[in-house]
Amino acid sequence: MKTKALPLCFALAVLGGCSVSSFTLVTPGIVTIADLNVQAGSGWNDAPIHQRRFARTDSAAWTKDGLLLDRLVFIPAVPDGEPLLLSRERTAAMPVFRADMLPNELEELVESSIVKFFGEGQAVVSTENLRPHRFGENRGVLFDLSATVTESPAYKGLVGAFVANDKLYVMYYLGATPHYYGKHVAEAEAIIKSATI
Amino acid sequence: MKTAAAILLSITVALFATDARTAEEELEHLIPPGYQPEEAADEKGLWMEFEEMEISLNKSALLIRDPELVNYVNGIVCKVAADYCDDFRVYLVRNPGFNASMTATGMMQIWTGLIVRATSTDEIAAVVGHEIAHYTRMHSLERFRSLKSKMATAGFFDLGLAVLTGISAPIGQATAILSFLSFNREQETEADLLGTRILAEAGYDPHAAYEVWYKILAEEEAAAVKRRKPGLFSQTHPNSIERAEYLRNFVNDRYGPPYSDGTADPELLKILNNHYELLMEDQIDTNRFGRTEEILRRHAEIGVEPGILYYFHGEMYRQRGEDGDNRLAMEAYKKSIEQEKVPAEAYKNLGYLYLKTKDMANAQANFRNYLEAAPDASDRAMIEFYLEDDAR
Repeated sequence: MKTKALPLCFALAVLGGCSVSSFTLVTPGIVTIADLNVQAGSGWNDAPIHQRRFARTDSAAWTKDGLLLDRLVFIPAVPDGEPLLLSRERTAAMPVFRADMLPNELEELVESSIVKFFGEGQAVVSTENLRPHRFGENRGVLFDLSATVTESPAYKGLVGAFVANDKLYVMYYLGATPHYYGKHVAEAEAIIKSATI
Repeated sequence: MKTAAAILLSITVALFATDARTAEEELEHLIPPGYQPEEAADEKGLWMEFEEMEISLNKSALLIRDPELVNYVNGIVCKVAADYCDDFRVYLVRNPGFNASMTATGMMQIWTGLIVRATSTDEIAAVVGHEIAHYTRMHSLERFRSLKSKMATAGFFDLGLAVLTGISAPIGQATAILSFLSFNREQETEADLLGTRILAEAGYDPHAAYEVWYKILAEEEAAAVKRRKPGLFSQTHPNSIERAEYLRNFVNDRYGPPYSDGTADPELLKILNNHYELLMEDQIDTNRFGRTEEILRRHAEIGVEPGILYYFHGEMYRQRGEDGDNRLAMEAYKKSIEQEKVPAEAYKNLGYLYLKTKDMANAQANFRNYLEAAPDASDRAMIEFYLEDDAR
């Protein structure tokens, strides 16, 4: 079987950019990402890591209409002293998580990280409506996010975050406004709110 | 004791001051006010591309449209430009980087990062004068022709013009192409010398022409995380101690001592005080705390409202999060709330810091003050959670 599949993939790669890893359909139901569990709905596609800028290796990103238009990101178990996003550039000045962070600081950490994601100086990111939310047994927060980006659609988003065992869990949804944000936000919100460890 | 290199540099810049004065006296604007492109196909094409980009820029949500801020930068550009004033359209862009740029068509961008780094309107005017000199010496067209000859035509506009204008190209492309786009040393020197002349003719202090470079150097020195590559303006405008030195010698030789008596510039101070949060919050988001601290230090020197300034010191310390920073942040917030003009968030973030020290009474007192100062706060639900007894 391998001997048949490989030449086919090679041929497709030459013709159309076939890559070894590609988007895979997320099976509805409980999905585990590292030690984070979420209740997935139908129609989400799990993006391969090479398609995701600055992604931590144990994170996941799902999309319905393509990553540029909507993405639901899960970043589990970020240890104290580490950033939400990984950059190879040592001069990127990525903000890092600290285990004693309070809700306002988690909000700022995500905001500043999203700025770095779009590119410093390329986006203005703001957050609002910080509110408490319980993720299973863990107290956490929800807040809304918006990003104005140079040469790109504007985005709105919803973020959920909690700290457990001194590790940070972040789930966020970003959708291009107005259409794609509104199209999937209700589903994304339900998945974010379902997060537990 | 001076090193041999330092002595050599002093001699070089002293000699250059004399040469520079002669060179400056011979410099003329190459195009008249109201200039339109010649029939040359490449120049016409360049203009058309820039005009399309300007239409796009005009729609950008990152443009600042606040009348006071827009009038401030427009006023500076028009005053420096003098007879060329009507040739320029000025766009104030929300970006924490230090940058101003000008296209061959007169589309000028000024980033908010330039305003927060200036300690006088003269310094902003100096950067504007430098860009206008590039314009009237037609350096962009020269640069365009030079670049075009180095690159295949296909895709040139997609790759090159975005960077020429300072408008973002897709990430990666901008960086890859920047090395081709720098003005050459001769063009930079011309822009320095002519820019300083038109700055002085407009009534601004020509000494700002080198002071602005010393400030960039000081910020780099203060940076906790050095950039491997300098900011956009510095990538397209060589930035060095040598340049600051030669300009200082030239300006002192040509114009005599500084005009400024050291007192604060009321025009800039008013702008900073009225729009501080808008101008500084993007800088805070860069997570570059050494640079932010240096900017705050300058603002304290020029007399920005202490209530706002202490608040941003608190923000900077708290978000930096090094040992002892929470204590420094608490002190800064406390000083902020003693002042007349204080952001409501100073109470909130002080409350959160008390929460960290398990001082619930003081945390809740500050949270109540926050909600009283900002009754429509969007995070009311979060604050009310901490005001409930079971939140302990």
